[in-house]
Amino acid sequence: MSEPGLRIHDLRASVAGNDILKGIDLTVEPGKVHALMGPNGSGKSTLAFSLSGHPGYVVTGGTATLDGENLLDLLPDKRAKAGLFLSFQYPAAIPGVKVANFLYAARQAVRPGDLTPAKFRALLVEKMELLDMDPTFLGRYLNDGFSGGEKKRLEMLQLAVLAPRYAILDETDSGLDVDALRAVGESVRAMRDSDEGRATGFLIITHYPRILHHVKPDAVHVMVGGRIVKQGGADLAELIERDGYDKIREEIEAIA
Amino acid sequence: MPSSLAAPVLGIVPENAEALVQRFETSPLLRAARSEALAAYFALASGRAPAGRYWKVDLDALDLSRVEVRAETTPPRIAATLSRGAIACDLATARRAHPQLLERALGTAVDARTRKFASLANAFGNTGAFVYVPAGVSVDNPIEIAYAAGEIALFPHTIVLAEAGARCTVICTLEGGAEGSFVCGIDEIVTGERASVSFASVQMLALGARSLFTRAARPGKDAHLAWAIAELGADLCASTVEIEIEQTGVDAQIAAVFCPSGDQHVDLVSSVDHRVGQARSETIVRSAATGSGQARYLGNINIAAHAQGSNASLRDDALLLSKKAHVDSVPALEIAANDVKAYHGATVGALDEEQIFYMTSRGIERDEAERMIVLGFFEPVIDRFPTRELRERIRAALQAKVG
Ligand SMILES: Nc1ncnc2c1ncn2[C@@H]1O[C@H](COP(=O)(O)OP(=O)(O)OP(=O)(O)O)[C@@H](O)[C@H]1O
Ligand SMILES: [Mg+2]
Repeated sequence: MSEPGLRIHDLRASVAGNDILKGIDLTVEPGKVHALMGPNGSGKSTLAFSLSGHPGYVVTGGTATLDGENLLDLLPDKRAKAGLFLSFQYPAAIPGVKVANFLYAARQAVRPGDLTPAKFRALLVEKMELLDMDPTFLGRYLNDGFSGGEKKRLEMLQLAVLAPRYAILDETDSGLDVDALRAVGESVRAMRDSDEGRATGFLIITHYPRILHHVKPDAVHVMVGGRIVKQGGADLAELIERDGYDKIREEIEAIA
Repeated sequence: MPSSLAAPVLGIVPENAEALVQRFETSPLLRAARSEALAAYFALASGRAPAGRYWKVDLDALDLSRVEVRAETTPPRIAATLSRGAIACDLATARRAHPQLLERALGTAVDARTRKFASLANAFGNTGAFVYVPAGVSVDNPIEIAYAAGEIALFPHTIVLAEAGARCTVICTLEGGAEGSFVCGIDEIVTGERASVSFASVQMLALGARSLFTRAARPGKDAHLAWAIAELGADLCASTVEIEIEQTGVDAQIAAVFCPSGDQHVDLVSSVDHRVGQARSETIVRSAATGSGQARYLGNINIAAHAQGSNASLRDDALLLSKKAHVDSVPALEIAANDVKAYHGATVGALDEEQIFYMTSRGIERDEAERMIVLGFFEPVIDRFPTRELRERIRAALQAKVG
């Protein structure tokens, strides 16, 4: 393992023939929390999908490594096995596939044979309690008929159950009520306090500083037009909340 | 020893018709009926399209020249816990012991004179089962009827007669066989008022076999009827299922699942005929085709002009899992009444890449993700089968096909 971290260098990607990412440099170190903000359509989800290997997102240049391993050569499942996790902005519904079976298949894929079904069940119950999720969700079909908030909680349950080395949360906080947001925050905090999750690095994509009150970022990055245009500390999120992106855009234009 | 045992007659072809029936049937009276049925088979049209670019079998020109018919077969294995006058026995026993009861149902749901394959089934009917549930009696455990195909062609006739307020669940399985096995049968369900019958037809014949079925039900007033059908085996499977609603208050369901793989051909026609109003029907079909598998589905819903207050839905979804596989799916609604609720929806498509990506992004390999998604896709229909054990068997069979 040469260089630990989720290291993104000059990453370029296109969607449906349009160049969206125009050279992204970003490093998430183990155990650190990075926030990524930016106006709608700036390319945040594109970055998340490009890193996790969505077939519709074509990487046209640059590199991305996870603890030294080249991510871009890997199929999506291998990227997950390498330790990458993406909490989807819009998780897919898969009718007929039960949540419990899916979670078990995922855990087995990422950490083969490390838990007996009984221990796994206990783990699920524990993590669900933290997220204020009713155990009946386990018998439901994956995201099928779930409310927006329920989908997001299920993403967080997956995060807790898979305990990846690096987690990208794409607007997990959007559409959550206050209690759900607190539950999500507590779940992430519990994970970061656990042996399994202490070293997990986070890239939290968000429009609002409120989730960052629950999970303190070590750095905040701002993406505009497929580029990271500004970086700062936790206070940058508050600044954006107050002033919007116009000020940042003006700054860029002044430089250009 | 009957002559037919000593010398099975080969080949259901028009030239052989006379000789076949002569050897097959010793009673002169029944001989005439069988001859007539065989003539009807040769004369009637299947009503299904001939072979084409994908679908390779012409149902009106089936080659039966090597089909071996014999009057004697092993009766089906029947398992049931019965009480208070309920009956579940093989057809020969029913003819002997319960002729009047049998007569009330036999041939009353399926009009064989107009049905090509039902006529064939009647011409050589050589096995069957009879289920009778008296008025108000509830048979709690499923009645299991298991047909096993062999070298001799099987022409089973399964009949259920449920009297007013009777309740039962019947699981009818068809298994075994080998290359060249031939099965052509009839399932009939007749019920009284407020009866509730759940009938599962599960066909898991060996590859190389052919299976042709005509299924029909006539529910009584306010009766509940659920028919779950899984066509999983055989090289060629052509079956029709028909529910005739002639009484108000009927609640009828048809659920069907099939998944042609390899070179399998599955042709299914479902029909619900709302002849009177104030009744409900639901048809739900889930299918997938993989390998060079071919499927044809025709879903008929007819609502007669005076059948006001009918409520009918038809939902048919199909997955195409390979380039050579093909699914031809046609929902056909004919609605002559104006005060009805009728819904239909049909889709044919490939697996959803977003679903696959979601699962693979969690570490699950693509093949496994596809398998899980396809099996999940069948679940709404698998759910309609009566016992956990049966559902597991169907899941396993489907898994083997898409794995
Ligand atoms: N499948 C697609 N086809 C065409 N354009 C796409 C596709 N997916 C994304 N885009 C475009 O790429 C750009 C970046 O989209 P992306 O989803 O990455 O933005 P985002 O920063 O996540 O926005 P939001 O804050 O609204 O979630 C947008 O202009 C979007 O329209
Ligand atoms: Mg986005």
